[in-house]
Amino acid sequence: MTISRNDAAAALSDIENTQRRGMTLRGYRLGGPILMLWALIWATGYLTMGLAPPELWLPVWLGLDVVGVAGALLLARTGKPAAAGAPPGMTWRLLGGSLALMIFALSVFWVMKPTEPAAAMAFPGLLIGVIYAVVGFWAAPRYAVIGALMFALTLIGYFLFQPWLAFWMAAASGALFLSGVWLWRR
Amino acid sequence: MAGSDDIIHQPLRLKIMAALSAEKGQPLDFPRLKTITQATDGNLGSHLATLEKAGYVAIEKDFVGKRPRTQAKLTPQGRKAFRAHVDYLRSVVEAAEDEGG
Repeated sequence: MTISRNDAAAALSDIENTQRRGMTLRGYRLGGPILMLWALIWATGYLTMGLAPPELWLPVWLGLDVVGVAGALLLARTGKPAAAGAPPGMTWRLLGGSLALMIFALSVFWVMKPTEPAAAMAFPGLLIGVIYAVVGFWAAPRYAVIGALMFALTLIGYFLFQPWLAFWMAAASGALFLSGVWLWRR
Repeated sequence: MAGSDDIIHQPLRLKIMAALSAEKGQPLDFPRLKTITQATDGNLGSHLATLEKAGYVAIEKDFVGKRPRTQAKLTPQGRKAFRAHVDYLRSVVEAAEDEGG
């Protein structure tokens, strides 16, 4: 059988699209457990903010962030996608990305100096929400849904449940956990 | 230049081979393969059987707990045939571009 130029180009395009879909699904499978881990970290962090005095918030969050980054690295290394050819430099990307996020969040607090605790509590939710949304629009659509959800839950909590915002955000971590399950199961 | 591989070139079989080839030797389970190739159960099963008969794909059936699981992966012969077919497709496109100037 002879194949025309158009047929050959269409077949190559099909191959590329199929492999891209596979890569996105592998990414979801890798990202799901990491999201579940961060949901638990968020729940712990926000419960601390709701129950412990403010001077403990920063050290607790820094400790939790270290646990989260280390856990994410471990999950990324042991996940099946690594065996199936995860992109090179994954560890450095995760480390660099996490470090950049932490430095950005701390810098915003130092520069903007939020006077009300609710603003400080809402900021990480909005930041993570917008990052997921951008990732979603560029690479993996499901993250856009998760980002929009986090953004919306944070704003709802800030405007409607401000006195209980820490507990609201801790509860919203449940949505983040379920989002992780949603990514991982497909 | 090698010719077209008629077994692989069928649209769904091409997608199956592309999806399995990207897994670098790891098997893919049936539901994920179905999602990636956007196929129906019946179609996917019948084309997988054709590829298995040609020796391009190995099908493994086992149980996870009490649930049956079907997994597929490329055989070395399948990997080689897929590479050759992709090379052929590229050569067709490049030859047409060369002729077009």
